[in-house]
Amino acid sequence: MAIQVEAPPAAEPRRRPEPRQLTRRERRQRRRPLLPALVFAIVLTQLPFVATLYYSTQRYNLLRPETRKFVGLSNYGRVFTDDLFRNAVLNTVKLTVTVVLLCALFGTALAVLLDKKFLGRSIVRTLLITPFLVMPAAAALVWKTSMLNPVFGIVNWVLSPFGAGQTDWTSRYPMTSIILVLTWQWTPFFMLIILAGLQSQSPEVLEAAKTDGATGGQTFRRVTMPHLRQFIELATVLGTIFILQTFDAIFMITQGGPGQATTNLPYFIYQQAFRAFNAGEAAAAGVITVVATIVFATFALRLVSGLFTTEVL
Amino acid sequence: MATVTYDQATRYYPGSDTPAVDRLDIQIRDGEFLVLVGPSGCGKSTSLRMLAGLEEVDEGAIRIGDRDVTKLAPRERDIAMVFQSYALYPHMTVAQNMGFALELAKVPKAERLERVRAAAKILDLEPYLGRKPKALSGGQRQRVAMGRAIVRQPQVFLMDEPLSNLDAKLRVSTRSQIAALQKRLNVTTVYVTHDQVEAMTMGDRVAVLKDGLLQQCDTPLNLYQRPANAFVAGFIGSPAMNIREFHLVDGHARIGAVDVALSRAEVAALSRQDARSVLLGFRPESVELVGPGAGFPVTVRLVEELGADAYLYGAIEGTPESGEPDLVARIDPAAPPRVGETVHVRVKAGKEHAFSPKTGLRLT
Ligand SMILES: Nc1ncnc2c1ncn2[C@@H]1O[C@H](COP(=O)(O)OP(=O)(O)OP(=O)(O)O)[C@@H](O)[C@H]1O
Ligand SMILES: [Mg+2]
Repeated sequence: MAIQVEAPPAAEPRRRPEPRQLTRRERRQRRRPLLPALVFAIVLTQLPFVATLYYSTQRYNLLRPETRKFVGLSNYGRVFTDDLFRNAVLNTVKLTVTVVLLCALFGTALAVLLDKKFLGRSIVRTLLITPFLVMPAAAALVWKTSMLNPVFGIVNWVLSPFGAGQTDWTSRYPMTSIILVLTWQWTPFFMLIILAGLQSQSPEVLEAAKTDGATGGQTFRRVTMPHLRQFIELATVLGTIFILQTFDAIFMITQGGPGQATTNLPYFIYQQAFRAFNAGEAAAAGVITVVATIVFATFALRLVSGLFTTEVL
Repeated sequence: MATVTYDQATRYYPGSDTPAVDRLDIQIRDGEFLVLVGPSGCGKSTSLRMLAGLEEVDEGAIRIGDRDVTKLAPRERDIAMVFQSYALYPHMTVAQNMGFALELAKVPKAERLERVRAAAKILDLEPYLGRKPKALSGGQRQRVAMGRAIVRQPQVFLMDEPLSNLDAKLRVSTRSQIAALQKRLNVTTVYVTHDQVEAMTMGDRVAVLKDGLLQQCDTPLNLYQRPANAFVAGFIGSPAMNIREFHLVDGHARIGAVDVALSRAEVAALSRQDARSVLLGFRPESVELVGPGAGFPVTVRLVEELGADAYLYGAIEGTPESGEPDLVARIDPAAPPRVGETVHVRVKAGKEHAFSPKTGLRLT
């Protein structure tokens, strides 16, 4: 007896159903638990910003508060045409880019070193992290007085066999000095993130590369680097945001000088507010800095958002 | 293609006084499929990794063909390894994963693509060549890992539990595919598993390890029929062989209240060792039910019915009460005895395995 199987009726091609829309009520209910955090965040971060926005529209000399008055956007106009502001922007870019690049370079190298097993690794690791733990102001003071001092600084002493005389680093090479200090301070941050990346790599993948015939260098370039890329990007974005805001080191070591040679944006704002007592222009410069940072961070974070959306295999 | 020789190869892990692999001695023929099997922690992976060059050889030597590779780096050994986790390169596509080794070996691009395509065809991977590993299912990843090995056309394949992340059904079908593929490519293969069914079905020969020591290396059939010691006897076969120690009475083993004769050679070997008892093993299928008066009586504790087979778990009457059943027997599923009933069983003639109670070694 033959078994008859009826052909299924020709079905319409199946289409993926539309995702169900949430009703308004549902949406509101889902958001409600977030409300306290939102209020807290707004009070903490947005109120000062709103105050800054307000000041940026005022002519406001701190020494003569009675002359305060609304001037619209003229503070912004003044800031944009200010040579000193442009100089500060340029210095900030120079400083940030150089420090971030150097930190990424040294951070990667040190992370690779720390990823290897060797005697005393944990001591070395602790020592390498220390610069990040020292208070920036204290670190800057140490650099200024005992490292870079022309007469009894350690840097000159170390370099003396190579013919370095009594170089006054902070006045002859002010930018280089600041870059040196900031690189020293921020390299551990980069190193830690990249080290976390290295240690999250599956050892079996590295072994697979070895048996596939890769040398150490090839393995690093072709297998480890693509894996590390997103970690380096993350460190770069976060590092850039932090280094952009550097104030302590410049305040302690060069006071933005000589002249305006090392004045970056935060120091410029400080000068405007507390040296020139021009709170209005300082606020305008501050707003511009914040907006620029947000624009940069948005693009940069989008670049690295791959780190948060793709699972690491 | 080449032979592989483990010559007294030994591995001590740093900080450990006992070797993880102890004087391993195996000769693997050209094109042979050798399976390393044993309980967890017995040193299977270590043995394989020593051959791959991922683990040092502290004593002894390893040769591939006539080449002593003991001190060579993995990339100089011309071996391809399939890892348990597959270890695919996550940022490369399937095609790049498979072609990576060829690229490193500076194989021209046209040939490289050709070989990748050929391997993809064998493994049904053609639709996935452009995908990244994370967009593949477990079974597909497993095949990519295989593909990465076969495009290499290496001298030896090494596989460390490549099927253990697959579900049971896929494991069975992939098992036969790998075995068939190996026969077709005729590449010497060392395959690690803890699953004795995999070992028995895939291997030309099977090496059983325990605590880093090689117990026996032989064909699956010999391993089953003539296990070299009580460990191998108990490890190979499912359900496991019944192995019990019985007192020796005038050249007979006393099972419960019944004396069972041993062969003359076995008795001679036992008396040379001055033994008062004997380790006797018999497989569940070597036991048959007989009428009262013959064999020894067994109380039925549990009957497992599997459809084609049924297994009886029982206690041998007259032996001191032990917690677990003394005996497992395969019985006719048509007429299973009831639990609590007493049945009489007998070991089929010549189907018992006798081991020394002192060394565990086979007596004859
Ligand atoms: N890196 C290591 N350092 C120290 N001891 C190790 C190391 N790797 C393995 N061992 C030890 O060596 C022995 C053999 O390990 P191995 O990994 O070869 O076992 P295995 O047979 O592959 O087990 P499994 O079936 O669980 O994978 C084990 O006792 C284990 O504890
Ligand atoms: Mg293992």
